[in-house]
Amino acid sequence: MRAANRGDAGAYRQLLQAITPVLRGVVRARGAALGPEGCEDVVQEVLLAIHLKRQTWREDAPLRPWLYAITRHKVADAFRARGHRIDLPIEDFAEKLPATDMPDPMRARDMEKVLDRLEPRAADIVRGFGIRGETVAETAARLHMSEGAVRVALHRALKSIARLRERMME
Amino acid sequence: MKTDDLIAALAADTLPRRTAGQRLVRVLPLALGAALGAFALFWGLRPDLVAALASFAALKTVLPLVLALLAGVLALALSDPQARAPRLAAMLWLFGVCLLIAFLVAVAGAGLSGLAGALITSSLLICLTSIPLLALPLLGAALWALAAGAPAKPAANGAVAGLAAGGLATGIYSLYCDQDSVLFFLPAYAVAILIVALIGWWAGGRALAW
Repeated sequence: MRAANRGDAGAYRQLLQAITPVLRGVVRARGAALGPEGCEDVVQEVLLAIHLKRQTWREDAPLRPWLYAITRHKVADAFRARGHRIDLPIEDFAEKLPATDMPDPMRARDMEKVLDRLEPRAADIVRGFGIRGETVAETAARLHMSEGAVRVALHRALKSIARLRERMME
Repeated sequence: MKTDDLIAALAADTLPRRTAGQRLVRVLPLALGAALGAFALFWGLRPDLVAALASFAALKTVLPLVLALLAGVLALALSDPQARAPRLAAMLWLFGVCLLIAFLVAVAGAGLSGLAGALITSSLLICLTSIPLLALPLLGAALWALAAGAPAKPAANGAVAGLAAGGLATGIYSLYCDQDSVLFFLPAYAVAILIVALIGWWAGGRALAW
């Protein structure tokens, strides 16, 4: 995470990939009623929140309690928005830590809906990075933008996605 | 979109993010400048300011600024998702209770008619509108800064930010206000600051939710 805050995308990606199975375990244990796709939506919401709120983690503090706090808030929020009231005791996390790492065949539904409502260029940039695995330089060349502009556009798009998801739930 | 694809998109976003504290340091001078500019334009210093600040009436300025400092630090602490600031919150409550006791003692001395006489003046309405108006740029700045945080309770975080903005605005307004009676400024300032806190509670629940 420390490396991630310094802009090391590779380390950051590894971190997110490492915590995702744990998140998935927690969400599925709590939200079986949502079905696998619904659970995956919640997992993605938590990941977005971790990303957009990463500056609230102080570098001298342990990472795990911070992740718990963000996840607890977001999971409770997501379930509330879907009409399930769920308390998430912290102990759940400790037990779920060695959750089985399943491959991720699940395509979450909400994200597609949100991307469809996003400005086309912003959605294209997010899909470019996510699905096609483009680099900043490739995206910049394809869209005739400067690399700085691509970075800013991606950042704004991710923020818009979080906002749109929030609004969709209301 | 698959979760792995989302992770790839997230990891590609490496723009550094500022913390709520860093944002506050950047925006507070601007908001303070706006409030002070409006104050100089539309309110202005009371003519006998120097004499007033040398007297008991200096409390009118000092107390709101102490409140602003306490509430400001608490608001920043609450923007942490794992916020634990019981000592700060207790200090803020203690501050409020002390002022309430001081007010009740003053009312006991002067009687309700004395309170009505001191409070019901043409200054009351000016005070109750001026402080929230002066506080608006400060509250806006505070909420903008705190939006970088992740408060467990967004509305409460907004209300505490409102207390801070209201306290700061009251400290500024007190340099104009020439009502030096405890029976005027304690209740009038308190109500004005609570109005700002209420606005902060409402706006915080919207602007700080995440």
